[in-house]
Amino acid sequence: MNPTAQTLPEKAWDLFKRLWSSVEFKLVLAWLFVVIATALLDSNHTYWNDPRGSSELIIRRTVLLGFFALGSAIIIISGGIDLSSGSVIALSATVFGSLLILLDPNGFRDGHLSRLAVVLAMGGTITVGAMIGTLHAWLITRIGLPPFIATLATLVGLRSFGRGLTPTVTTGGKSQIDFPDKLLRDALKDVTTMSIVFIVFAILLWFLMSRTVTGRHLHAMGGNEQAAKLSGIRTDRLKWLAYVLGAVSASIVGMISFADDGSAKPDIMARGYELNAIAASVIGGCSLQGGVGTIPGTILGCLFLRTVIDAVSKVVGSGADVYEGMIVGIVVVLAVTFSQRGQKAIVNRYFNNAIGWSIIPVLSILAGLLMLLFFGKQTWYTPAHAIVAGLVVGGLLVARGVWETMSEKKS
Amino acid sequence: MAETDAANTDAANTDAANTDAANTDAIDSTDSIVSMRGIGKRFAAVKALDDVSFDVKPGELIAICGENGAGKSTLMKILSGVITDYDGTLAIDGKHVRFAGTRGAEEAGISIIHQELNLVEQLSVAANVFLGREKRTAFLFRDDRAMQREAGALLSQLECSVSPSELAGTLRVGDQQLVEIAKALSLNSRILVMDEPTSALTESEVARLVRVIAKLRERGTTILYISHKMDEVFHLSNRIVVLRDGRFIAQLNTPETNAREITHLMVGREIESLDLGEKQSRGKRLMSVRKLSLPWPGHARGYRLKDISFDLYQGEVLGIAGLMGAGRTELLECLFGAAPIVPSGQIHIEDRPIRPRHPSEALAAGMALVTEDRKRLGIFAAMNVGPNITLCELASMRRGLAVNGRLERSAAISMVDKLQIKAAGLQAAITSLSGGNQQKCIIGRWLLTKPKILLLDDPTRGVDVGAKAELYRIIRQLCAEGLGVIVTSSEMPEILTLSDRIMVLSEGRQTALFSREEATQEKILEAATMSNHAMF
Repeated sequence: MNPTAQTLPEKAWDLFKRLWSSVEFKLVLAWLFVVIATALLDSNHTYWNDPRGSSELIIRRTVLLGFFALGSAIIIISGGIDLSSGSVIALSATVFGSLLILLDPNGFRDGHLSRLAVVLAMGGTITVGAMIGTLHAWLITRIGLPPFIATLATLVGLRSFGRGLTPTVTTGGKSQIDFPDKLLRDALKDVTTMSIVFIVFAILLWFLMSRTVTGRHLHAMGGNEQAAKLSGIRTDRLKWLAYVLGAVSASIVGMISFADDGSAKPDIMARGYELNAIAASVIGGCSLQGGVGTIPGTILGCLFLRTVIDAVSKVVGSGADVYEGMIVGIVVVLAVTFSQRGQKAIVNRYFNNAIGWSIIPVLSILAGLLMLLFFGKQTWYTPAHAIVAGLVVGGLLVARGVWETMSEKKS
Repeated sequence: MAETDAANTDAANTDAANTDAANTDAIDSTDSIVSMRGIGKRFAAVKALDDVSFDVKPGELIAICGENGAGKSTLMKILSGVITDYDGTLAIDGKHVRFAGTRGAEEAGISIIHQELNLVEQLSVAANVFLGREKRTAFLFRDDRAMQREAGALLSQLECSVSPSELAGTLRVGDQQLVEIAKALSLNSRILVMDEPTSALTESEVARLVRVIAKLRERGTTILYISHKMDEVFHLSNRIVVLRDGRFIAQLNTPETNAREITHLMVGREIESLDLGEKQSRGKRLMSVRKLSLPWPGHARGYRLKDISFDLYQGEVLGIAGLMGAGRTELLECLFGAAPIVPSGQIHIEDRPIRPRHPSEALAAGMALVTEDRKRLGIFAAMNVGPNITLCELASMRRGLAVNGRLERSAAISMVDKLQIKAAGLQAAITSLSGGNQQKCIIGRWLLTKPKILLLDDPTRGVDVGAKAELYRIIRQLCAEGLGVIVTSSEMPEILTLSDRIMVLSEGRQTALFSREEATQEKILEAATMSNHAMF
């Protein structure tokens, strides 16, 4: 008998099992599934007819999310949380615009900014990001605020600050700053440039997190802060680094979004994005307990999240932003549920107590309503479809609950 | 009192013949309020309790004595329903019971006053007394007034002058304890378990507690009183049960025994005979500590450590003995720059003064600390064995900016070999290792930093016997290599086996410094139980 013929499938199975244990591999599979499903279900067949345009859209959104999601992920890995990224993005766009006005008022009016002004304004905006990160680190390490509170304060505070700043720098006290220079705008929002900058940024952070002493210490601090301190690690400095990276990455997104949107509107810009960043990190395998997570995982988390949002908008045929929040919510709940499930050896019981039974009608009604929302405009849709969908989901959940009750009795 | 004394004499007559645990099944337990038979409990690999049996008669005050780790608290947690998973049987009033939780024990009339008090600090005293059993008015509204009235009545019985509407968190520890006792009274508890109730009290609070205990006994309450303070035990109890290493050792009538005998029973085990080889002669002085004090704001005592002075020489082991709360861990934290407040006093390392404010400064000065609480302060559960070992010394394993995988691996393997760590590989999860091997990983982590002084805080806690001997051998070997080692331990034989000199702490003060030749278990225990102020 040939020994290799025996071991080869075993080897393949081992390899698969090893890969399956990594979040990254599961995310790639899930992503492929979503892409294929969308290609099949989309009635306009956008992925077939316009592969270039479709992928460009997804890459653009992924990159814009990815920048600050990576910053967020580093903070989460180090044991903290950053709720302020959306506001930092909005403020940074405003600061970038304001600095351009102040440094080159004539160029701003004519639409031809001097190169020096642009470079200085970018440097200034990134400095502002670093200052915000320093503020967070100070509030957390010296004042002793929980990260949640410190960054909640800047979440509401910085956006309001940006709104106050805008009318004082614009002529006529407008509440938004329009992007002045078309050439600069095209350069900044170009998907290729953006992607290259992102890849460089991501490689630097990956190197930091997985190859340097600092990265190891960040993981250690996130996993057990007291033990890290007792190991002689200067935890306060590491926290400073994490929060500065988080805020600076959001500042970069602020500048690009300024170009991408064509204007900086501090009141509505990037509102709620911080939760997308946290969601992408969690989907990508970061634990909110800290100490666990990777840079590639987070990037895949961003790609998966943006692809699902894009897929739903394609299939449903409405703007991506309408269902974005709902999808983020559902995907995060599912991702965390499944990652928890892997850790516990016991059978999970979701429905067989008072709270469990009472959630079944809630989920059934939700299923019916989603049917209506997603497919209400289709020609084949009738109210009966929504009712049937709700009943089917309800029936399945009741069956699960009954099974849980019976299996509990048995054990 | 006379009646209970008579009952106890009877009980003692039966018990005197039955100090052997194996025979206690023969005791007629019909008139016992509590009878325990063959109680055993394991925590992972460690046997906390092993086949403990004894009876308690109604109205008695039984003192449960034993060293740290003897199993006193575990046994009381089983009795009060905190621990529900154990071997053996428990009977209350002659009826078998197995509590599903503390609620079950409360219904059977058993309350426990934990060493760590269990009050909700943000709620009022009355709300704490009636927590989970809130009184209601006719319309199902919470009846705060009735609860405050009743709590006030209970507290005044206990000579406690706090108002029932005060927040529990603002009270002194002694008053908080009385709130817990009031809670027990409101439950109509017949059996009260008190776990080292005087450990955090001032003198006058102790005196008040003694009066409260007398009152409780007049009402017929049976009390199980955990303590290792001999003066209290002899003043309060009418019977003493001694536990050692999780086993029942003896029960004695208090008037018929003395502190010396109880102390002897508490420690009287044969020391594991370990040949640790030739003794290293001690070298030059590595560290000197003078008048080290650590304040304790807001505590009756005012200090965690007071005027500690000692020297440490190359190649010697300085053992630090003391009971729980004596300040052993605090002392090591002070030396290592990990104390919450910077201590006063002088520390010199090789005649250079240092004043570490952060562990990284102590590390730079050549110190290393292996912490007591391995799980909380030692291991990084999310990291594998390799990174857990190399964490402190990563900076020297770099090539350029990046950590060099080969250098890191060889450093980790050098420690795995030196300390004979048993792991499935450097990629194995640290949590998959046994306690002893986890501890070796942490020791390895610190040895990589090439320390001059190694501080070991109870290094064998939660480690099985075989691994203990191995750790002793490692500590000896490190001394031979020229390190100075300070080791604390809650186990007397360990201190005696390992140490060249033994410093004893009691309530934050240094009460003795013995050479190995003059030290005995009895002497150490005597110094460790020395009170700073006479209470009785």
